Amino acid sequence: MSTAAVKNFPIVSGSSAADSRPAGEPGGGRKERTPLSVVQSAPRKRRAPFVVLCFAMLAAALIAVLVLNISVSTAQYQLVELRAKQSSLTKGNQDLTQQVQNFEAPQNLAAKATELGMVASTVKGQIDLSTLSVTGKATPAVKGAAAGAVIPSPAVAGQLIVPPAATDAGANKSATAADRSATAADAGKAAADAASANDAAKAAAAAQAAAAAAAVPAPELHGGSIPVPKQKVPGQ
Amino acid sequence: MAETTGKAGKSKAPNATKRLRLGLGIMLTLLLVVGGKLFLVQGLDVGGMAEAALNSRMTSAILPAERGSILDSRGTVLANSVIRYNIVVDQRVNTKTDSYKRLEPQADGHDKLVDVTRDQAISELASALGMDTNAVRDAVTGAKPYYIVAKEVKPDVEDRISKLQVPGIVAEGVSKRVYPNGAVAGGVVGFLQDGTTGQAGIEQTQDDQLKGKDGKRLFEIGADGLRIPVGLDELTPPQNGKNVKLTLNSDLQYFAQQAIQSQADKLSAEWGVIIVMDAKTGNLLALADTNAPDPNNPGLVAAKDRGVRSVTAAYEPGSVEKMMTAAAVIDEGLASPLDHFTIPPTYTVDGQTFSDAFTHGTEERTLAGIIGYSMNTGTVMAGQRLSKEQRYDWLKKFGIGEAPDIGLPATASGILTPPDQWDGRQQYTVLFGQGVSQSTLQTVRAYQSIANNGVMLQPRLIDSYISPDGTEEKVPAQPSRQVVSENTAQQVQDILESAVTEGEIKDAGIDGYRVGAKTGTSESPCDDGKSGYCGYTASIVGMAPMDDPRFIVEVVLQRPKGSIYGITNGPVFRSVMSQTLRTYNVQPSTGEPARLPQYAK
Repeated sequence: MSTAAVKNFPIVSGSSAADSRPAGEPGGGRKERTPLSVVQSAPRKRRAPFVVLCFAMLAAALIAVLVLNISVSTAQYQLVELRAKQSSLTKGNQDLTQQVQNFEAPQNLAAKATELGMVASTVKGQIDLSTLSVTGKATPAVKGAAAGAVIPSPAVAGQLIVPPAATDAGANKSATAADRSATAADAGKAAADAASANDAAKAAAAAQAAAAAAAVPAPELHGGSIPVPKQKVPGQ
Repeated sequence: MAETTGKAGKSKAPNATKRLRLGLGIMLTLLLVVGGKLFLVQGLDVGGMAEAALNSRMTSAILPAERGSILDSRGTVLANSVIRYNIVVDQRVNTKTDSYKRLEPQADGHDKLVDVTRDQAISELASALGMDTNAVRDAVTGAKPYYIVAKEVKPDVEDRISKLQVPGIVAEGVSKRVYPNGAVAGGVVGFLQDGTTGQAGIEQTQDDQLKGKDGKRLFEIGADGLRIPVGLDELTPPQNGKNVKLTLNSDLQYFAQQAIQSQADKLSAEWGVIIVMDAKTGNLLALADTNAPDPNNPGLVAAKDRGVRSVTAAYEPGSVEKMMTAAAVIDEGLASPLDHFTIPPTYTVDGQTFSDAFTHGTEERTLAGIIGYSMNTGTVMAGQRLSKEQRYDWLKKFGIGEAPDIGLPATASGILTPPDQWDGRQQYTVLFGQGVSQSTLQTVRAYQSIANNGVMLQPRLIDSYISPDGTEEKVPAQPSRQVVSENTAQQVQDILESAVTEGEIKDAGIDGYRVGAKTGTSESPCDDGKSGYCGYTASIVGMAPMDDPRFIVEVVLQRPKGSIYGITNGPVFRSVMSQTLRTYNVQPSTGEPARLPQYAK
């Protein structure tokens, strides 16, 4: 039945159909025909929401994967940034540690102490904490004989070289060696470091070492450029 | 549906069906083509495209292992590795780029694209490196794909250079070995050749432990230079080298080096050596040499100075060997410290005549006096009570001819010839340390057995290995052996103490502590192939405190100039031993010092 035809028939719902019968009528001989009414067509299966749901799920899945990939890639960029930061901090730490180690080197400490006018003490006394007895005769340190040999400063490139205090003839041999070591280390590395470093003391040490280099005697080359190998004859 | 009528319907329907079938057929064919191509490309990969793509993405990088550090007993760093950079240029790229653009941060916070000419870039690079502009220009101009402009540049300089973004300039990370303490313990620590392999000292013998193992990383990298996170990533982590912890005390090492250098300079000696050992454990606290190399620049000292003479130089020990003769006769029960000896001015036995360093008449001496005054005559008189085999066996027991194993290269074993090869004179001269040769470490080891109640402990230089995760594995002590009985050791200790209190070595005494010592003066065989003796080796070895000896110090000086009888190492011994006792807070000695009479009644 076409929908247009529905107009022609009054719609009577089932319950009203029953009420249309006069209530008082007893049984009635004639069986009444069930009044016809338009069968409401069953609700058509609405496919639209399902399709929309499918598309929505698909879109959501794609978006989720995209977001995940983006976040992982962003995290990768962050990781690279953090690694670079860690690397620069490690290098800074190494540099500072090296400076500390340079100051802690025994020869540098001794040279600095000599610069400050300190002398080694030779006499000591002891206090026994359990009996509070004092043994030994501790006297104030006095400036004794010449300090003796000076062990040269560590020739670590780019670190402050504390010039050793040369005091007497005995110490001069080691002092020259120290200056030479400073010069050699500096000549090779000062080129790379002196201009770039902002430590004025380094430049001062380099200048001092360069001045001392002039005092180092030139090697005896016997008129050639490479010294002749000396053969040893037993008994000579 | 009502049944269709007529032919018209029949012809219409098959056409529709036919069209449908045709369309379906075409689509199926296309689907088949696509599916087949998909199978070919994805499944069989004809043309190897997946592999080619993988190859262009895949990169392998070597993860270098960090070389382990060398530490002293208190953790002071003696050697470690730091990051440096080589500035490398691809000359072709740089030469052909006359100008380039780079982003420069402006004052207002934004970055501006700035044109930079090649000349400006070169001058900026030169000022950052501290090099001459022309030198830099020469370095970056040419046709080489790889040329080093500057070596071992510090990280802050490298950072500034990378900001310049000079075309063709690349910074290569390298590892540099630095030695913060320089010449202090320089010979013991050693140095590297080409920055990778150890060439001397601990760097050489412990190279395997220090080196570690390089790792490898296999990963996929995109065109923007960033690692593809979801791609292949195989990582074999590098195993960093282990740290080596030594028994040395670097402050004491410096003190000893400075002391021996002063003494050697003062007396114009060829070389000198000081060893400080802990008698209770065998740990070597100082191995001091003159002219020690600075591993940062080892070429500054002569090649012969780059080793550790404390362990490599073997020489005739001289009178310090008399302690072993005395210990042998006492342990064999052939003599005791107060035994009476009548000693003539010169002593002749088996046609061999022996005399002393000082002239004397006939003297009545005890064994203690013979040792206390270092008398060759008396030593031969007492020592001849031992048979030749016994003399040999006792020297062997004290470790002569047996190289100590402490992990330094070229450790000397000394020369102890078998007794059947001894000639008429040598069989007696070995009693006072001539005709046998040993290193300073061997002498100290022999004295350590006396200091340690007769038990000889092998010397230790390497204390432990510390792996990168921090676990420390101590090197186990080598087996010890009882050389003399405890009683003998005590008697010999008394003899050595009496040499200081009553004997000749009074200048070795230290206020507040009981000290035992023995001097040694030996004739030194000529070095350069000549026969006979040239010069002397002056030494002194002692231990303190004698109530329970803890430390042994030996000072050796080779060929000092001047009269050998006027030279004494006593003050050097005294200063090093005092410094050691002070460093380790040793209590002043209690009890009465041994004063064995030097002359017999």
